[in-house]
Amino acid sequence: MAIRATVEALLRERKLDRTLTSAIPERLGEDAVSPLDVETLDRGLAGGLPRGQVSEVVGPASSGRTGLLWAALAAATRRGESVALIDTFDRFDPPTAAACGIVLPQLLWVRGQAVSKTAVAIDPAWLPGVRAVNGPGTFVERVIDRAIKSLNLVVQSGVCTLVAIDLIDVPAAALRRLPAATWFRIERAIEGSDTAVVILATQPVARSSGGRSIVLGGDSRISSSTSAKGSVDSPDSRIPAPVWNGAHDRSRRLGGVRSGADVSAARWSHANQVAVHTRFVHAV
Amino acid sequence: MFAALYAPSIPAASLIAVARAFTPRFEQVGPLVLLDAGGLSRLFGSAQELGSHLSEALTKHATGGATGTAPRVAIASTQTAAALLVLGRPGLTVVEPGQEEKALAPLSVTVLDRYEHLRTRAPEHPSTPAPEHPSTSGWHHPRQTHEASRPKPKAGGPSAGSGSPRAKSRGENRHLEILNKWGIRTLGAFAAINGPEVFERLGERGLQWQALARGVDARPLVPWVDEVPFEAALELEWPIEGLEPLSFVLARLFEPLSERLEQADRGAAAIYTSLRLTTKRVHSRMLPLPAPMRDAKTLRTLVLLDLETHPPDAPIDIVRVCIEPTPGRVLQWTLLERAQPAPEQVSTLIARLSALMGDTHVGSPRLVETWKPGAFEMAAFQVRGCSGAEVLECKEKDGAVGSALRRFRFPIPTRVQVREGRPIRVNTDRQGFSSGAIVQSAGPWRTSGEWWQEGQAWDRDEWDVAMADGTIYRLVVERGVGQWFLEGIVD
Repeated sequence: MAIRATVEALLRERKLDRTLTSAIPERLGEDAVSPLDVETLDRGLAGGLPRGQVSEVVGPASSGRTGLLWAALAAATRRGESVALIDTFDRFDPPTAAACGIVLPQLLWVRGQAVSKTAVAIDPAWLPGVRAVNGPGTFVERVIDRAIKSLNLVVQSGVCTLVAIDLIDVPAAALRRLPAATWFRIERAIEGSDTAVVILATQPVARSSGGRSIVLGGDSRISSSTSAKGSVDSPDSRIPAPVWNGAHDRSRRLGGVRSGADVSAARWSHANQVAVHTRFVHAV
Repeated sequence: MFAALYAPSIPAASLIAVARAFTPRFEQVGPLVLLDAGGLSRLFGSAQELGSHLSEALTKHATGGATGTAPRVAIASTQTAAALLVLGRPGLTVVEPGQEEKALAPLSVTVLDRYEHLRTRAPEHPSTPAPEHPSTSGWHHPRQTHEASRPKPKAGGPSAGSGSPRAKSRGENRHLEILNKWGIRTLGAFAAINGPEVFERLGERGLQWQALARGVDARPLVPWVDEVPFEAALELEWPIEGLEPLSFVLARLFEPLSERLEQADRGAAAIYTSLRLTTKRVHSRMLPLPAPMRDAKTLRTLVLLDLETHPPDAPIDIVRVCIEPTPGRVLQWTLLERAQPAPEQVSTLIARLSALMGDTHVGSPRLVETWKPGAFEMAAFQVRGCSGAEVLECKEKDGAVGSALRRFRFPIPTRVQVREGRPIRVNTDRQGFSSGAIVQSAGPWRTSGEWWQEGQAWDRDEWDVAMADGTIYRLVVERGVGQWFLEGIVD
């Protein structure tokens, strides 16, 4: 491996890298990542979300996964960058997002189709073991198809430096049916660019070779495959736990969620474990 | 040789039409129109005959309108003399070359003030009549925007000195007052004063006034240049159906328009597309652009995407595009801010996304002035830079991230068991949502509002509840009907 790296470095110096090797020169410096402006998270991510790569944020409900994504969006918008959110099922709440620090005029919000009770009732995609025969036929499959197309358009335009797609609430079966080429195409589109792509999902979906996987919560099915041996914290510390303020029923208020995350990348020898603490914000 | 026309009873457009009928070189100065009459003697004879022709043409137009001041025409070898004479004398006045000062001498000095006021005032009426278009049914020319793109004369012209209009007005009155105190009532008397003495007492402006009183031109005539509308049309031999062949037609129309925009240093502010269909109907679209742009490919793509969203319902016979011009974009790049994407890129992206997702599903959210939970509106997405101060401000941070609320646009009806006024159990039929006992809850947070607007009122209690599996729901009970809903997940 060392010899290969040396050869590649020599080739790059002679500017022959695109001819003889497909490796893109590694981005260096502060501009190589999109930091979240949260010290513990940025340390765990080795600076932030890498630009030109596909990263993913994964976790169970109320583990702080969406809050973490919003923190990345907020930090980018406050730096003056334009960001995009492909909101597959239209779950974004602008007042809360503004309270979380997202500069809304800097956000390109692509709203998907909100799912009504009727849509769920008539759509077999929500039922396990059912799939459309020819292409995206069901309601949910069409919604996902449009979201992926939107993601493609946004990353190919190069307008936004941080592009997130929200795939939470997408049925696992529908997610598995997405062809792998979908994510290769996205990786290829942002390769070497300033754009960082983040996939928000319940289960791991895709990540490029230089991207990060942030797995929140204590779901053993998710964390066991990605976390390294010899974890410092016990698994219990990563289980999301709500924080309540006030002892009495009448005075109790939700303070936030205390959770933990495993951050891993392809070339890392072990996953970084970071504590994630969300603070409940009131939109009004 | 110059001719001046003045007819308050005739609309400005008609006055310009008369001038245009005699010569293409004319200038509008308020209600006056100055013509360059050089070389017109071959067409209309002597200066006297030319003046008669002009008077006759003006009288024809005046008879159609309301009765008012009779049209005035003056012909002199300088435009200043012609203008002052037309303001000071009724009817037709023709001055032989070299006799301007003599002809101007009996006029009152107040015409100087009036003439200068007209020169510094913006035109009251549209200076150019609307370009005529073929009488295509249903086709309307877009609003007259050429005036908008033409740089407006400033309130304080170069000859008016500095200061506000009111200050200038005071200055003009002061000069007239001084002249009156001196006993100078006519231009002849004013022109006879020694120049240096005028400069000592009235300054540079006094000299300018004296030059005007002698009929000397301060500047050459600035002929009116018609702005040709940025539009193009193509009548097809065979009707086309579908947008793909239309793409080639649009490319053929937009490329020359783009070149003309570049030559005129203009950009497109809006594109008007008009498609005459085989059903004799006209399918019109107006596409406003967020920033001036003139790239032919971008314009074509934007129009095509717009037509993809709003397609015509029949084959197309005639394609016509009209561009609303606006001054070109001037950009100053800086090393201190991140380079922003070009507006062409942003517009194309938004158009593509809108065609895919729908117009109302693409943009930037904007908060609205209301206490209604989750209220927002969509605004157009625009790329804007961030100043250094704003960037520094974002460095302040604490160790926690904000909790997101994943809001259900269609709140999920749910069954909630309540004990002693507090929810203790949630049951929902929706797949992917946990049901069961509530382990902790906070609330109720009661809100209500807009009861004065029918259909907009809300009156509800909100609860934050934690389920056994760790999920935190936002529960809402509509107080009017007692129905519980899952409104969102705190995540």
